[in-house]
Amino acid sequence: MKIIFKTALCLMAAVMLAGCERPPIETVQTGFRGTGMEQIYNPRTLAKQASLNAAPAAPDAADAEGPKAKDVYKNVQVLGDLSVGQFNRHMASITQWVAPEAGCAYCHNVQNFADDEKYTKVVARRMIEMTQKVNQDYKAHVAETGVTCYTCHRGNNVPTQVWTAPKDRLYANSLLGDLAGQNMATKAAGLSSLPSDPFTPYLKDALPIRVNSDTAMTGAGSYANRASTKQAEFTYSLMVHMSESLGVNCTYCHNTRNFASWEESRPQRVTAWHGIRMARDLNNEYIIPLTDKFPANRLGPKGDVAKVNCSTCHQGAYKPLYGAKMAKDFPELQTLAAKP
Amino acid sequence: MSMLSFERQYRVRGGTLFGGDLFDFWVGPFYVGFFGITTMFFVLTGTTMILWGAAMGPTWNVWQINIAPPDISYGLRLAPMMEGGLWQLITVCAIGAFVSWALREVEIARKLGMGLHVPVAFGMAILAYVSLQVIRPVLMGAWGHAFPYGIYSHLDWVSNTAYQYLHFHYNPWHMIAASLFFAATLALSMHGGLVLSATNPGKGQVVKSPEHEDTFFRDLIGYSVGTLGIHRLGLFLALAGVWFGIVCIVVSGPFWTGAWPEWWGWWLNMPIWRT
Amino acid sequence: MAEYQNLFTSVQPVGPLHDGIELPRDDDKRTGKPFLVHLLGRIGNAQIGPVYLGSLGVASLIFGMAAFNIIGFNMLASVDWNPIQLIRQLFWLALEPPPPAYGLGIPPLAEGGWWLIVGFLLTISIMLWWARTYRRARQLGLGTHVAWAFAAAIWLYLVCGFFRPIMMGSWSEAVPFGIFPHLDWVSAISLRYGNLFYNPFHALSIVFLYGSALLFAMHGATILAVGRYGGEREIEQIVDRGTASERAGLFWRWTMGFNATMESIHRWAWWFAVLCPLVGGIGILLTGTVVDNWYLWSVKHHVVPAYPLVTPVVVDPAILGVKP
Repeated sequence: MKIIFKTALCLMAAVMLAGCERPPIETVQTGFRGTGMEQIYNPRTLAKQASLNAAPAAPDAADAEGPKAKDVYKNVQVLGDLSVGQFNRHMASITQWVAPEAGCAYCHNVQNFADDEKYTKVVARRMIEMTQKVNQDYKAHVAETGVTCYTCHRGNNVPTQVWTAPKDRLYANSLLGDLAGQNMATKAAGLSSLPSDPFTPYLKDALPIRVNSDTAMTGAGSYANRASTKQAEFTYSLMVHMSESLGVNCTYCHNTRNFASWEESRPQRVTAWHGIRMARDLNNEYIIPLTDKFPANRLGPKGDVAKVNCSTCHQGAYKPLYGAKMAKDFPELQTLAAKP
Repeated sequence: MSMLSFERQYRVRGGTLFGGDLFDFWVGPFYVGFFGITTMFFVLTGTTMILWGAAMGPTWNVWQINIAPPDISYGLRLAPMMEGGLWQLITVCAIGAFVSWALREVEIARKLGMGLHVPVAFGMAILAYVSLQVIRPVLMGAWGHAFPYGIYSHLDWVSNTAYQYLHFHYNPWHMIAASLFFAATLALSMHGGLVLSATNPGKGQVVKSPEHEDTFFRDLIGYSVGTLGIHRLGLFLALAGVWFGIVCIVVSGPFWTGAWPEWWGWWLNMPIWRT
Repeated sequence: MAEYQNLFTSVQPVGPLHDGIELPRDDDKRTGKPFLVHLLGRIGNAQIGPVYLGSLGVASLIFGMAAFNIIGFNMLASVDWNPIQLIRQLFWLALEPPPPAYGLGIPPLAEGGWWLIVGFLLTISIMLWWARTYRRARQLGLGTHVAWAFAAAIWLYLVCGFFRPIMMGSWSEAVPFGIFPHLDWVSAISLRYGNLFYNPFHALSIVFLYGSALLFAMHGATILAVGRYGGEREIEQIVDRGTASERAGLFWRWTMGFNATMESIHRWAWWFAVLCPLVGGIGILLTGTVVDNWYLWSVKHHVVPAYPLVTPVVVDPAILGVKP
């Protein structure tokens, strides 16, 4: 009996400790000394992450001379002003980024490349415009580093980090057991019991994220701050997502003694502010309108399309691909083409 | 004099750890001893340095005074005085003072023919301080990871250090420690209440006995830990609370760099029930 | 180390078990035959039982069990009645108060109605238990100090779950029943109200929490240290001071210049422990009702330390009129 008990105890200890890491660790101070504003990294984990988040080498630039793609190929609606060489280079790159196994046939009818019969081609066309939009209009977030299709897709048909509205539980309409959108262990909430879908209210809809008052005393009437403690949990859940997506902690942007204050925050917080608006814009302007183009197996359990959040691009890195500048080799992705 | 009515007969020589009869005397009600001298040295030096740090700082407002550790870039080296070196010296004095105090308690206990439980218990508190200001910073490679000396500034450090792990409440050792602290407070209220209820039974009642105390708790919850047991239990709850507090913070950083909610993945992903 | 340290009882003399002080005639008879547990006896008393099951106690248990079961079944339902998932996700599960939209109205059962019922049943259970602690003391001719200490804890419970939500006009402000979820509530209220570390009542409450741990460590250690003089016989020592109390008092007098007595230490103990929830409850009650941002309140009262800037000044992009 005693042996069983001791063995069980040892096993439990081993399992619990297996989750732990070990020194040495690396730290970066992000605030005044002694405030505790620091980033903490396990160098072994970081090294593994870096190797998993490397950018592929870009092919040599193609010749810009010669006839334009829109004159040589049919039904070229975006990227028409590229030369044929540049256009083909881009197509080869997209294949590498999005469909390395399926090849050209993933989007095209290989008997008739111009044909739009596959939904993937229609979606890809719109996503090229989306990429251009990010690089042109969201420099406040992506600066000169920019994005390419690879930033999200990483060689997958569908990016691994996307979100859809969560499935209701089996007996969702019963009298008991209301989850109130939280209180389960979900990856979306970083394994906490915070709300499991902070994306719909903040990265699709534009509900207010801020909850703090800018006055010390409670206001009355129209001056009252009506944000509830529950709302703070939703904001917290979004912030947990942002932190986990970037592999950083709260002190990367904030001095937590006063979360709301911009004067006490770091410049990264402004970049993040733009990122939230960018994600909303991309979801509402580009992705959600494509919903009826997708077959049922690509939609979420509630029939909605897979949307972007912070981890779609960042995938655990403070800058996607640790800041590798892929977009500079693909100038065609850097501006929205003027519509005819 | 400042002696209690029964005190004189207890003021005997002996019990000292160091120094023999040289410092074996009292100043007012305070016992001195060799470690009383070292305590005063560290206290005076440390306090002077704190006052100097405050003078060099922007304010004398006691709530705002802040003496911060060095930047992390100094690693485990000695930093310039105004760049955290003062903090380092104050820390040395603090440890010197705390250890001196504990050893003085040993001398006093020995002189009074008492067990050494009090200095040992205090040792746990000293261990907590040393863990926060020495052990954990050393494991993390820099003195800059320790907390600053300031009433509200040390709370800013607590807030930011906790949010480094996104949601510190999910740290399992923190959960245990917090539970033990609340249990200690509960037990203290019950023990204080019980003894007072027996010795202050109200108008017209006589002072009650330990049998009444036991009967009260047996009637209430079916068990009474008893007069000796409650003191063991209380000491244990308090010391275990501090111990798990030490564990919870030493683990955070050196042995876990991620978010604390994520730690629970090992439980959720066990093959028998993972979803 | 051959010396006995008074931590574990090495020899347990076993005599006739104690049925308890005789109760007044209007009380019920006690329940259960007392028995001994040797392992318990190494730390404290070995005897378990008898227990007094009076009307107050039984009623309290009934209401309490009802509340417990409603919470449990709601948790089980929330994982689609899968008992394995119940165990797996137990710490994450909860019974939530109604969402903010319902204010103080009665919500549907499925959206906070059960929480309201449980709150009601649990409160009745706790009040009945409080009455039990009062009555058992009075029936034994004891003072009611334990009951009044319990009242301080009940005050905090009611502030968090009843008074403050009512003053805020919303049941959603109350605490959910659940291990991690109630911790999320703790974080959320601090996040919403500008960092509770800057709430002076919160700070004072923590002083009393840590102070209680400190005091029990001090008092427990002191009594164990004078165990050889019968220090744990505190009632006798209070009424008739013996060498245990004298040495204990002198230890602290010589250490820190002042001391308590065998009785007064228990007053320090009672007040420190009681003031933790008492003051804490005041701090919570003021949060959101009077003060909306404790950090800004502290700035107003000149207690916030300033740090030199280490990054360029950051401006709120929203007020810049930045077009995203």
